[in-house]
Amino acid sequence: MMPEGMNSTAIVVFISFVAFSLFITWFAARKMHSVGEFYTAGSRITGFQNGFALAGDFMSAASFLGITGLVFIGGSDAMLFNVAVAVSWAFILFAFADRMRNLGQYTFADVVAYRLHPERIRVLAAVGTLTVAIPYLIAQMVGAGALFETLFDIPYIGAVLIVGALMTIYVVFGGMIATTWIQVTKAVLLVAGATALLIFVLARFGFSIDNVFDRAAAAHAKGADIFRPGGLYKDPISILSLGLAFICGTAGLPHILMRFFTVPDAVEARKSIGYAVGIIGYFMVAIIIIGFGAIGLLTGESEYVDNVGRISGGANMVSIHLSRLVGGEIFFGLMAAVAFATILAVVAGILLSASAAVAHDFYTRVVRKGEISEQEEVTVSRWASVVIAAIAIGLSVLFKDVNVGVLATIALAVAASVNFPVIFLALFWKGLTTKGAIWGGVTGLIVVVVLIILSPTVWVGVFGNAEAVFPYTYPTLFSVAAAFIVTIGVSVTDYSERARIDRDGFAAQLVKSETG
Amino acid sequence: MADELDLLNNPSFRRLISRRSRWRWGFSGLLISAYLLWGVAGIYFPEQYAQKFMGSSIPIGLAVGTLIIMMSIVLSIIYVRIINRIESEESVGEEKMT
Repeated sequence: MMPEGMNSTAIVVFISFVAFSLFITWFAARKMHSVGEFYTAGSRITGFQNGFALAGDFMSAASFLGITGLVFIGGSDAMLFNVAVAVSWAFILFAFADRMRNLGQYTFADVVAYRLHPERIRVLAAVGTLTVAIPYLIAQMVGAGALFETLFDIPYIGAVLIVGALMTIYVVFGGMIATTWIQVTKAVLLVAGATALLIFVLARFGFSIDNVFDRAAAAHAKGADIFRPGGLYKDPISILSLGLAFICGTAGLPHILMRFFTVPDAVEARKSIGYAVGIIGYFMVAIIIIGFGAIGLLTGESEYVDNVGRISGGANMVSIHLSRLVGGEIFFGLMAAVAFATILAVVAGILLSASAAVAHDFYTRVVRKGEISEQEEVTVSRWASVVIAAIAIGLSVLFKDVNVGVLATIALAVAASVNFPVIFLALFWKGLTTKGAIWGGVTGLIVVVVLIILSPTVWVGVFGNAEAVFPYTYPTLFSVAAAFIVTIGVSVTDYSERARIDRDGFAAQLVKSETG
Repeated sequence: MADELDLLNNPSFRRLISRRSRWRWGFSGLLISAYLLWGVAGIYFPEQYAQKFMGSSIPIGLAVGTLIIMMSIVLSIIYVRIINRIESEESVGEEKMT
């Protein structure tokens, strides 16, 4: 689909990004002397920098490429995701920022282990982290492979290996210092790229938002019906479940929670999430306008969209095609490279959180009960990163044709149903006991997995059955409710000696969580 | 440990907790209910959702969605400022350090 030599800008920009990221990694490696520097960049990141890094952690290729594709096909429905994202980040600021930062050190498990049985609860947290991180990693890598295959004609496996190797290098040598700076660089590039694309698109409509919508309605096969709520608006339960998936899910993503600890104190933590809400909110509004602009501009361009409305290379290519149409070859190359840099930065963050779960929460705290030197812990973390990266690469090659959307749904739903209830109740409910937390976490995990298998996405989409046993795409309303009910039920009927310690620990935790 | 438990009965600390949780749950509740109301309204009022917003060509549903995103940003800014002020007024943290 693309003449030879056309992608030279993309290659130059991409190689520059990789070179710069490796320079950052080298620089970070020289400054890294302790466990704290490895996991949380020595907590020396400022609120402003961390705001960009947080936004970068969340603005994956899925949001940039996926949401514009969703608008192109389904119109207004995509706004449900965009608004949910902004609300979820503000909620994280209100509910979690202060207490999490004051209680934790490296991972969210530090927070829940403050008064609960440290070893048992860390095993749960490590399982919760890995069941979020691995599907999320695979989703990103499979997406990267497909994107590279379409854009540059590089074989799928090659792209997966490049992403896998680079993320491992960033994490193993540069730890959180490198990961943060790569994330900040990428976030700046992505926001700048999206802004440039928005300006180019608006220029085509005489800088009138009204024209964007008028032309979209005129061009789309469904006409003005693209503004009406569509397939996602089935019933209140679907809406509630989708909302909960984002609001509770984002607040349970381990790689995002880990970023709370890269800043020195709660004041900076609040500030950083405040910046993140602003950046993400702006980005979400921009991509909706870009998406509607794409309907008006790409429809009828036979090079990109055929006469039945199929997009060449799939719906994820909408932003990329649009960049080429409105900005020419150089801008197209730039945006393709930015999309790829986005994936690289996101996977590095996820890999680091997964390796912290294995090395810090499981190995150091549970297996060795803290009897370990700093040097040894960093070494274990590095090996954990290598092994997890190898597993993710292997699975991504094996499941080349997996539905990326399903994996992302699983990751978010597990974060909402396993991690979120435990953290939320540990922070705000005195009655939570270790036994309750573990039973609730396990219930959340089982309910999520079973309901996703029975849902339309897997039962119909993957297994090819005629009708889904469980009618909703997002299981979160049911799985989060189940996790909360079981956690609370088991906690209040827990009369063990440990339960007394758990409840008595709340007072000291409250003081620490509110004052630092 | 004993110091921390003393602090629990410190009136300044009690005020810090109650003032902070008022904003915490107030803002969370406001924003999450705005989102859910907007989402559920889309099911029952699809015509109105697609209607044009105040003489522009922007569908009302999208305009309201954008307003909720802006509200998230504005409430976040207000929250950060208010909590910083509350913390400086109820200077429990500093008392504890000395």
